[in-house]
Parts: sequence; structure tokens; C-alpha cells
Amino acid sequence: MSADLETELADRFDPREGGAGARRALRGLAGVAAFVLVWAVAARFNPDYVLPGPLATGETFLTEVRSGRALDALASSVQHWLLGTVVGTTLGVGLGVLLGWSDAAEDGAAPLVRLLRPVPPLALTGFGIAWFGINHVGAAFIVAAGAFWINYYAAYGGVRSVSDDLLDVARSLGVRSDLGLIRKVVLPSASPEILTGVRTGVGRCWMLIIAAETIGVAGVGNRILTAASNLAVDVVIAYILVMSLVYLVLDTLFQAAEDRILGWRA
Amino acid sequence: MARVSGRDHDGDGSRATPARRVAVDGVSKTYAGDDGPVHALADVSFDVTDGEFVCIVGPSGCGKTTLFRIIAGLEEATDGEVSLSGDPVDGPSRDLGIVFQEYHLFPWRTVRGNVGFGLEQTDMDESERADRVDELIDLVGLDGFTNSYPPQLSGGMKQRVALARALAVDPELLLMDEPFGAVDAQTRAMLHEELLEVWEATRKTVLFVTHDVEEAVTLADRVVVMAADPGRVREVVDVGLDRPRERTDPGFAEYVERIRGLIGE
Repeated sequence: MSADLETELADRFDPREGGAGARRALRGLAGVAAFVLVWAVAARFNPDYVLPGPLATGETFLTEVRSGRALDALASSVQHWLLGTVVGTTLGVGLGVLLGWSDAAEDGAAPLVRLLRPVPPLALTGFGIAWFGINHVGAAFIVAAGAFWINYYAAYGGVRSVSDDLLDVARSLGVRSDLGLIRKVVLPSASPEILTGVRTGVGRCWMLIIAAETIGVAGVGNRILTAASNLAVDVVIAYILVMSLVYLVLDTLFQAAEDRILGWRA
Repeated sequence: MARVSGRDHDGDGSRATPARRVAVDGVSKTYAGDDGPVHALADVSFDVTDGEFVCIVGPSGCGKTTLFRIIAGLEEATDGEVSLSGDPVDGPSRDLGIVFQEYHLFPWRTVRGNVGFGLEQTDMDESERADRVDELIDLVGLDGFTNSYPPQLSGGMKQRVALARALAVDPELLLMDEPFGAVDAQTRAMLHEELLEVWEATRKTVLFVTHDVEEAVTLADRVVVMAADPGRVREVVDVGLDRPRERTDPGFAEYVERIRGLIGE
């Protein structure tokens, strides 16, 4: 055990490794700097309504944040994003597990799945409005449709790949019911796939808020759409930045949670 | 049959007939193959007495793994019946503890979690369960690794966990399918010793499938020798050697020779 710990510590604090890490960060920084430089040069030769410069965009970003508009838009977006993600993820994982486990359920649902799968969430905006109205629930419906499929396929695949031998072992140790097997073996065994699905879904749904907010609900996506039709490109870029920053935070948090939950994977 | 080890589970020293734990009675298994039916097993019959250690050996393709799965209740026989303590086996159950070559531990559970898995399905209260798990982890010599996850363990350690997990629910029969086939020779010799110690301590009835004749002669009271095409019992050999058995012992070599002759190696 102590030998293991030693190697682990050595791996973590390997000076070469640390040097490589610093070098990588430096290269990343150089990449960003080069991007901003190209942007600034390109902006010089274009009017502001085509491409504003990085400085002007930064100013707009700060103005939007200081005025509280950015936070309002964010607060609105988060509401239907959260509702849609939770509902879509729950349904997707639930049905994915059910159809992955039960051949009868899968046979029954297979034609429907193949028929509905190609429908893009954007095509559902009409239903969102008609069924729920122009509000958070209507927008959440579109987000949920996006979350559903990612999670459905991830959970379905995860359940299908559960080892028959592990199920045999569980049966021989006294687990009798399907529900018991699902709880004790299938869900933990498929948890890496399911969590990957959830994580992908969380990010995809955050991007989907632009589509969801085309129905007219306030939010970051709505700000982007309005600004774009007013040719206020600096505002568009400022809110794209807001979306990216939120995504970065979400994904980092989720990865930390995933590493904790799946700590058993060596 | 001769009980050479001198173990006597009746406890009163009498020579009363020991109880029959397992009865394999006319078991056949036929698969539908591409060129007509394949007879994996044909009319296999033998008994295992309570507390006995029986090995099944045979060449590859003699259907010993199929037989293992049928006895474990994981597969159905086309014909014939397996009974455990008089009741027909009709599916996996807690009375049949199984140990596979590939361990099949639950990778998301620690050693403790794996060993305790079966007990969680009983109404045993938590403190009693924890004591029993500790006792078993102790029995297989894994104290110090209770909170390790399977990917952190060596092959030999994994198999000890699998053994403890199977023993935890106190099965009537311990079924092992080439359990030490994936570990190196040195570890295997150690595991043989440990398994025999555990067997002495728990007085379990053990049915152990292997293709390794020396392994069978090291471990078994009796060896069921199988032949292939179709899979059938060639002969049941009583191993009349005292334990611990030495591979260098001329008597040991004789049994190995005899069984190899029966298999046709």
C-alpha cells in the first residue's frame, strides 16, 4: 500500500510532469493571445457592425454585467435550462434503463424510437408554445427533448453492456427480482456510461437554450438573437462569452462530481 | 467410498453413511449446432457426499464448464436432473456458491462491499453482518485490504475475495470453475493450501472444475474424470492419499499418471 502511495505521489509531483504542465499552459496562453491578435487585426479592417474589436467587446461585456442585464438574462435562462435538463435527463435515463433491460419493452418501442430520433429539438418549438405557452415551461420542453436522447442512448448502451456473469453472481447471492438486479448490479455497472450521458446532456442543453429562447422567452439566448437582429455584434459576442463561461463552470463542477462518484475506476 | 482424509462430519466416530449433498442424475445437454445437434453432455451421473471435496477434470471440450453451469442452476439440462440436498436445482440460489475463473467481482464495491453483497439480501442486522464480513475477510487473509477496490488487487487476491463472497451466505455447496487458472504457479500453490484450510475450517462441500490433473490430485477426495465427444464420465477416482499431499510423493505421481491415462493425455 505505502509503495502504491509513493508511486502515486511521484507521478503527481514528477518535476518533468510539472514542467510539461507549465509548458502546456504556456502554449495554451499563446494560442489565446494569437487568436485575440488575429481578431484585433481583422476588426481594424471591418466596421463595428461586422466585427467589433476585442477591447470594444470587452467594454460591452462589462457594461452588460454592471447594468445587471447579463445577470437577469442568466437567471432566466438557468430556470428553463435546469427544468428541461432535469426532466429530460430523468426520462432519458429511465427509459434507457427500461429498454436496455427488457427485451419486450425494447421490441415495443423500437419503431417509435427510430421514428422520433431524427426530430431536432428546434422542430419542436411550435409544440413548446402550443402545449405550454411562451414561458419557462415551453422553453424547458425544447431543452428536455435535447437532454432526453443523449441520456436515453447513454443509459441504454450502458445497460446493454452489463456483464451477464455479474448478474449470475448476484442471482447466486440471493438477488431475485428484476428491480433488485437493476438497483444492485445494472445501475452501478452502467454508471460510467450514464454519467457521461448526463454530462454531455448538461452541456448540450446549455447550448440549446438559444433554440429554446427563439419562442420568445427571456434569457441569454434571447439576448443573442435580439442583438443579432439589431446588428449589435459586440453584444452577441459578449453573451457568447457569458454562455461559454457558464459552460466551463458547469463542466468543471460535473467532472469533479463524476471523479468522486466513479472513484472505484482505477 | 474411502474417506482417506480421516474427516468425519458425523462427529460421533461412527461409520454411518454420510448424507448425499449433490446428485447429478443422467444429465444431458444438446445444443442446436450448424451441422445438426451437438451433444455437449451425455448421461452424466455422480454423487457428492456432504463435506466432500470433488474435482471434475477432463480435456477441453468435454463439457465440464457446461456441467458446472447446469449444477449452478445457470443453465438448464436437456435431460436428467441435478439435486441439492434432495431438492432439484432449478436456478441460481444462495445454496449454491459460485466462484469463476475470471473472479467477476463487483468493481464499484470495495473488498468489504463485495464480501457483504450476499448478506445484504438477508435480514441479518448490520452489526452482525459487519462481524461476519470481517470474519470472512480474515479467513482468506485480506484484512488490510478491506477498503480496496478490485482493480487495485492482484489476481490471487481477487480470487480470495470471490471465495469469501461465495462463502459469506453459507451455501450448501461451493462450486468453483477453474478458479486458479488465471494466476501464476506460485500463487496457485499458495491458494491450494489456503483453500484446503478454508475447507477444513468451514466443512463445506466443494465441487471444483479444472483441466489441471495435478491440481485435482492435490485437492480432491475424489476425481470425476470426463471424456469428450460427447462429454461423459469416464471414471471416478478415489484419491487415497493423506493430506497435505506432496507432488514429489511417488503415490501422487501414480494418481496423476492414472488420471492422465484415462483422459488420454
